[in-house]
Amino acid sequence: MTPTIAYQINRILRGSVPFVATLLLALLSVVPTGISGFDLVTPSLVSISVFYWSIHRPYLMSAPLVFLVGVFSDFLTGAPLGLSSLMLLLVHGVALSQRRVFIGKSFMLTWWGYLLVAFVIAILSWIIASLYSLTLIPLMPVMAQFILSLLVFPLLAWGFGVLQNNLLRHT
Amino acid sequence: MAPRQGIAIRLAWPLKTIIQRFAFLALIAVSIALLFLGKANIGVIEGLRTTTTDIMAPVLSAISQPVDAINATVAKVQNLTNIVEENARLREENARLLKWQAVGRALSQENENYRQLLNALSDPLVLPITARVVGDSGGSFVRTLLLNAGSDDGIRVGQAAVGPLGLVGRIVEVGNSSSRVLLLTDLNSRIPAVLEKSRHKGILVGNNSASPTLEFLPNNAVVVPGDRIVTSGDGGMLPAGRPIGIVSSVSGRRIRVQTFTDWSLLEYVSVLRYDLPGMSSPDENPGDMGESRLDAK
Repeated sequence: MTPTIAYQINRILRGSVPFVATLLLALLSVVPTGISGFDLVTPSLVSISVFYWSIHRPYLMSAPLVFLVGVFSDFLTGAPLGLSSLMLLLVHGVALSQRRVFIGKSFMLTWWGYLLVAFVIAILSWIIASLYSLTLIPLMPVMAQFILSLLVFPLLAWGFGVLQNNLLRHT
Repeated sequence: MAPRQGIAIRLAWPLKTIIQRFAFLALIAVSIALLFLGKANIGVIEGLRTTTTDIMAPVLSAISQPVDAINATVAKVQNLTNIVEENARLREENARLLKWQAVGRALSQENENYRQLLNALSDPLVLPITARVVGDSGGSFVRTLLLNAGSDDGIRVGQAAVGPLGLVGRIVEVGNSSSRVLLLTDLNSRIPAVLEKSRHKGILVGNNSASPTLEFLPNNAVVVPGDRIVTSGDGGMLPAGRPIGIVSSVSGRRIRVQTFTDWSLLEYVSVLRYDLPGMSSPDENPGDMGESRLDAK
């Protein structure tokens, strides 16, 4: 028995929720806020999203999608092309390989996991960006961005949890 | 049938994992390759980039409107609290500025007379195109802005972008309906500048922090904190005499500059269509009024 077209469309739409949500977050992170200096330290919402979905719905946040999100985000921000893709793929890879550690455990453990991954990513991207421009980029904003991302993580993770329970329960 | 299906699944499972692993590694390799290719300014990549920003600029514009509205409301409420003092202050400032206006008019007329006496060429007309800021860099590695106007509106690579208080940066990327400004604080930004009073010329070098430095000044230049810095117009890309900022500190050869522009309050910027006769090719003449949509309105 083949499923009806309506069912298929419904399934595809629901399945695309993590990807679309991540793209929206990429857009949101470049919207000017009018807060002094905030554009320098905008939390990395996209990395939170990739981390969360790679753990909870890895087949809806596959490596090619992660790559596309990275390219999209680099196009928008004007950052060196490939930098976000590389970093997000690393986040995805780590989250995917350590899924069993996080899944079904307490939220604190996931948060701790994100702390480790985000810290490594922050340092690594700082090194690559510095090499790319052949100068030392100020490290402080990168660290501030890391800490802000960490603080935003619970809020976003809660939001994703709501999405997951309402739209993606059976996928 | 059942055993064969079993074999198929047993064969397919590792194959699927291998493909996934391979895809993951391949994509990482592609990302690294892109980083290297990006250095080379390849046309296709630039095209993809501007197409993306062209498509996304209206979306960003729509998203940023409520944010701007909230900011405006907050500012309004904040202003309400000190409206009486503000009014008194503005009256005072208005009186002072009126005096300056009279001085300015007189000087401008005097200047014009001298120019005529000397038969000096005056600077070409500069036409501003005002565009909304719809995106910022959202990170600490680049300092750029995304505008919702592009080549259809007459914007070209290299033109200056100015805010209400002073120079903001230069256009580095243009799509049909969007463009990207490289802020003068970005570490790739180099702006020919001049000390307003002593007329010593230097280059304003960005470093991704809020205060760029003034470099390549002549050795005999005397700089003190508080000196005003304006664009020098060298190279013919930017109009001369546009305010940039003031010297905030001098330590040895390191001259830090505080820009006039308040980076958090940039909602609109003006892109200057500046054209030095004989220095830009007529094909991409940025000063040509005929190509602008602005005239049609």
